[in-house]
Amino acid sequence: MKKYLIAAVLTTLPVNAVLADNYTIDSTHTYVSFAVNHLGFSTMRGKFNQQSGSMQFDPSAKKASVTLEIEAASIDTGHEKRDAHLRSPDFLNAVENPTISFESTGVTWNGAKLATVSGNLTMLGVSKPVTLQVTSMNCGEHPFNKKWTCGFDATGSIKRTDFGVNYGMPAIGEVLDLQIEVEAARN
Amino acid sequence: MESLLTRPEIQSAVLPFVIALALALGLRRLTTTAWLWALFTAFTVSALLINGFTLTPLTGTRKIILLLGAALLSAALLPGVLSKLRLQRPFIDLFCLLALAWVFWVVLARMPSEQIAIHAAGFITLLVILQQSFERVSGNPAQLHGAGLSLLLGVGLSATAAASALLGQLALALAAASGGAYLAWVIAGSAPSATGGKQPVVTLPYLLAALLLGLASVVFARLPWYALIPLALIPLVVSLVPVKSESRFARALLASLPGLVIALAVAFWVWQSGSSDSGY
Repeated sequence: MKKYLIAAVLTTLPVNAVLADNYTIDSTHTYVSFAVNHLGFSTMRGKFNQQSGSMQFDPSAKKASVTLEIEAASIDTGHEKRDAHLRSPDFLNAVENPTISFESTGVTWNGAKLATVSGNLTMLGVSKPVTLQVTSMNCGEHPFNKKWTCGFDATGSIKRTDFGVNYGMPAIGEVLDLQIEVEAARN
Repeated sequence: MESLLTRPEIQSAVLPFVIALALALGLRRLTTTAWLWALFTAFTVSALLINGFTLTPLTGTRKIILLLGAALLSAALLPGVLSKLRLQRPFIDLFCLLALAWVFWVVLARMPSEQIAIHAAGFITLLVILQQSFERVSGNPAQLHGAGLSLLLGVGLSATAAASALLGQLALALAAASGGAYLAWVIAGSAPSATGGKQPVVTLPYLLAALLLGLASVVFARLPWYALIPLALIPLVVSLVPVKSESRFARALLASLPGLVIALAVAFWVWQSGSSDSGY
């Protein structure tokens, strides 16, 4: 019996070593925000208030992947009328395209830490490759719920015209600087 | 020149107006076919400038552009066929219903069945109101085109005020084109009437544009649905004002004024119902 048990454990070990752990993104501690030039004067900031997603993550095997879904209608720039316009067909067309999604296709590592996450950003029915620079990564046991948790800060940029959003060009900036902070707990 | 063509007022006001006016004046007699060609050309140029040359992804707005272009082109190419078609009215009704389904089903499909039923009932009610309203002015070219112009202006301004410049610009482009063709009538003296078998063909550009762009402003943006009711009743109100003047200019003015007042009032009310600060 003991022999079979050892054999079973040995057979399973290599498989577990290459299988990354599954994580669920904590939407209450995940932020997707953007900054865009406003008429050449200053920088306008906004964020999305609803997002969800999942991750597979295994630093020891240098494996990671992430899927993030953002509710387009949850855009929030702190101005109700402007937000309604941003949801309209002039910008996000949120009724027809309710979800903005990011699906990673590859990652690079800097030692034990994630360096970049590349993937496809799908917005308004258009998918474009985006590379995010990971500026911070920390993992550990959550002090309250005791779950193994990882957090990441990442930055990147997109051109809104790549997704067919041409309204207000060039007065309202073409390039959107993205700032994403994600916290995810191991399942 | 290129920067001039990117300006909204050029794209959806000056250019379609001038194109439609020039074409309508250039064609010696403003027949229904000539009028439809003037509208089609002016709208197509505007739509290309507003939307660009791409149709992908095929959004609801792009479907509306295709539908309006197709309706104007087929009416211009086949006026004789359509006028003689015994089932012309049901054919156009069916076209409108299919157009509504094509544009809005992607959104309706995500709704619970009772919401789909409420929306469908609202869509059909608006179609019926528009049809019945236009029926009242079909015998009088001045009233018909005055009402159509005012209706599209009202839809365009209200859509813009309700946070969709894109939908607003498309409606305003067709309003400007019909305004150019209308001015050609005032100058040259012949306007396409909508009597007899021509009624559905002549009212189609106004009816379809108001229906699709008005409802898109409700569904995709945030135009209150009840703003469409007074707009849809513009032709009916126009029909109540007697237009009996020897002067074509006076007739055009009398036939347009009541509709323009309603259009501007609705747009002002929609604008006022939100914050006056656009946030830009």
